Amino acid sequence: MRHYEVVFMVHPDQSEQVPGMIERYSAVITKDGGTVHRLEDWGRRQLAYHINKIHKAHYVMMNVEATNEAMEELTTTFRYNDAVIRNLVIRRDEAVLEESLLMKAEREDKERKARYQERNDNDARKAAATAETADSSSEEAAESAADSEAASEE
Amino acid sequence: MSRFFRRRKFCRFTAEGVKEIDYKDLDTLKQYVSETGKIVPSRITGTKAKYQRQLATAVKRARYLALLPYTDAHN
Repeated sequence: MRHYEVVFMVHPDQSEQVPGMIERYSAVITKDGGTVHRLEDWGRRQLAYHINKIHKAHYVMMNVEATNEAMEELTTTFRYNDAVIRNLVIRRDEAVLEESLLMKAEREDKERKARYQERNDNDARKAAATAETADSSSEEAAESAADSEAASEE
Repeated sequence: MSRFFRRRKFCRFTAEGVKEIDYKDLDTLKQYVSETGKIVPSRITGTKAKYQRQLATAVKRARYLALLPYTDAHN
């Protein structure tokens, strides 16, 4: 048995089928004595370029330990399923369990946005109180920065 | 006579001791792809050959999955 990482992209119109597909594919793998180590649903993502005039796709990634036969079966089902636009199967040396960097980046992005929103709200309240003093000091800072830049260029 | 001191190039992956470059690490990959979508040569970035090879496969995998563009002339 080997470790594999499988990513497949589903047509956005067939997005509702994804939970069922995951279940079916997991069954294919586990029936041969394999295991699903990590399963991530990246959801609908914007594509970097259009594929068959589609702009978005539903991504699913799974890290599995499976037999050759199970993988063969999986790839043939991918091929005959019209909802699967693309799939990528790569071999891995060991089971990967932690959250993928792509999901991590997305989650952090969301958290940052939430924090930014919060800070903006706070700033708006503070800015109203200290508008005048902040204005004069920021102008001075900008001037001195421009001076030092000019000096370094010479 | 070179009056300008060029910044010393260094391999970020060697410095950080990266084990494997992941095709899902888009933030890193984007730093090694030009505006037109080409992979930036190691002679520019200073990436070590071992990591440049990994980088190339990672970028190509990301491209296949439409996580990165092949070119800026899509659409």
